[in-house]
Amino acid sequence: MVRIKNRYLVVNYLYPHGNGQSNNKDLPGALEFHQPTPDDFHEGRLITAIRNGVTELFGDYGLGMVSTSLKVNYHSTATSTSIIRCPQKHFEMVWAALTFMTRLPKPIDVPVVIKVVRVSGTIRKAEEDVIRRAKELVLRAKTGDSRPGDDQILRDVVKTVAKRRENEVLLGDEEEEAEESESD
Amino acid sequence: MSPAMFYDLNIPWSENLGELQRTVAFLYELGYDVIALTHTLAGKVPSDLTPPIPTPLPFPTPPRLRILRRCTLYMHDLGLNNKLLSQLREHYDILAARPTNERTLQQACATLDVDLVSLDLTQRPETHFKFSMLSSALARGVKIELCYSQAITSSDPSAKRTLISNVVQLIRVTRGRGLVFSSEAQSVLGVRAPSDVINLASVWGLGHERGKDGVTKEPRSVVEYARLKRTSYRGVVDVVYGGEKPAAEAGEGKTETKGQKNQGKKPLNKRDADSMEGTPVSQSGGEKDRPISKRQAKRNKKMETAQ
Repeated sequence: MVRIKNRYLVVNYLYPHGNGQSNNKDLPGALEFHQPTPDDFHEGRLITAIRNGVTELFGDYGLGMVSTSLKVNYHSTATSTSIIRCPQKHFEMVWAALTFMTRLPKPIDVPVVIKVVRVSGTIRKAEEDVIRRAKELVLRAKTGDSRPGDDQILRDVVKTVAKRRENEVLLGDEEEEAEESESD
Repeated sequence: MSPAMFYDLNIPWSENLGELQRTVAFLYELGYDVIALTHTLAGKVPSDLTPPIPTPLPFPTPPRLRILRRCTLYMHDLGLNNKLLSQLREHYDILAARPTNERTLQQACATLDVDLVSLDLTQRPETHFKFSMLSSALARGVKIELCYSQAITSSDPSAKRTLISNVVQLIRVTRGRGLVFSSEAQSVLGVRAPSDVINLASVWGLGHERGKDGVTKEPRSVVEYARLKRTSYRGVVDVVYGGEKPAAEAGEGKTETKGQKNQGKKPLNKRDADSMEGTPVSQSGGEKDRPISKRQAKRNKKMETAQ
């Protein structure tokens, strides 16, 4: 059997001007832009907004291409996270439509910046990523202000340093290596 | 390889400090590592060239965000010259030119000693962009800047349309090389995360790889090249602080670094060393005269040892 291939976009909603509802001034710095989405913004409204955006950018052709498998798999207003399913070939259109969105649709009308944080081929990986990010955010709120992915950067640095050291050791026994490469 | 650093080289400086602080914090949250605050000079250049952007900035900034100062000059006529630019270079980290018509574009690409040619993409250009013109800029190491924010925030659909058509045209003419993506966002809502910008570039026909270069590699080369022009000797030799050392040894270390850099780069004419000071780097030759990168030097060294 051939499967229909999809892409799953993990999406975060960021509110540079606050979400227009709660006025907690004493939020931790890490959560300044990560505020809960208004509850009125439900799945139906999200789908309509995406459809309108795609139509605006790519016209009827784009909408036709995209709408075959457009669906919201997961939508959480409390964490401002959604997983959106779209066809594998045309996920860029959906992404662009999300990028061009500056406000939540009409009755809510709050300025928003939508950030696609992960593009995945399977829903499982997308879900795992959502959980990982939520945990990270909680940790940041508790401990202080480091950016998401900073620990990833640190890990990479450690990895590169280790690799470089390895290379130096190899350069140390240069002759051996030369022999090896010749025999190859 | 270490993870890439993301650049946004055009954040307009405004007197509205609250908004600016928010923008800067938001850019950091989105994952940018280096940003440049832009001061725009239009019309006549004032006699006092000191930038209005105070050092340090009057509000707290994220600790690991590097903030540069940049000057954008609007070019309405051919009145700019390199002498003025070299004066400006003392005050700003990056110099950019924004030509408004055909002739100034020609000047900016061919002779002017700037780091970036920034184009107003919401206006329809007088003629088509020519490859010969833009390639002369790219050959000197001057990059072309595309500002995407107007496509996102502008409510006027025709401006959006013009911007997209201009971007597509520029991508075709430059063959996707030497393009720098930056926001030029008037408000926080105009900035997008690096990955979103890369996706936009790929939708506009640039492809993912080139799009990524547009927010990482190309702006980095702009920043570093501008720094070299400012601090180093003719943009060729620069002494890098190599850590704490006793006085005698430190001297040795310096000569060593110089020697290393010169090794890879042969044609440094010592003859006209006295008259070198005034001439800008860009006139002394094309891209091949640029200093070799540390990585390249290391690679050369490796090759030698391997042989």
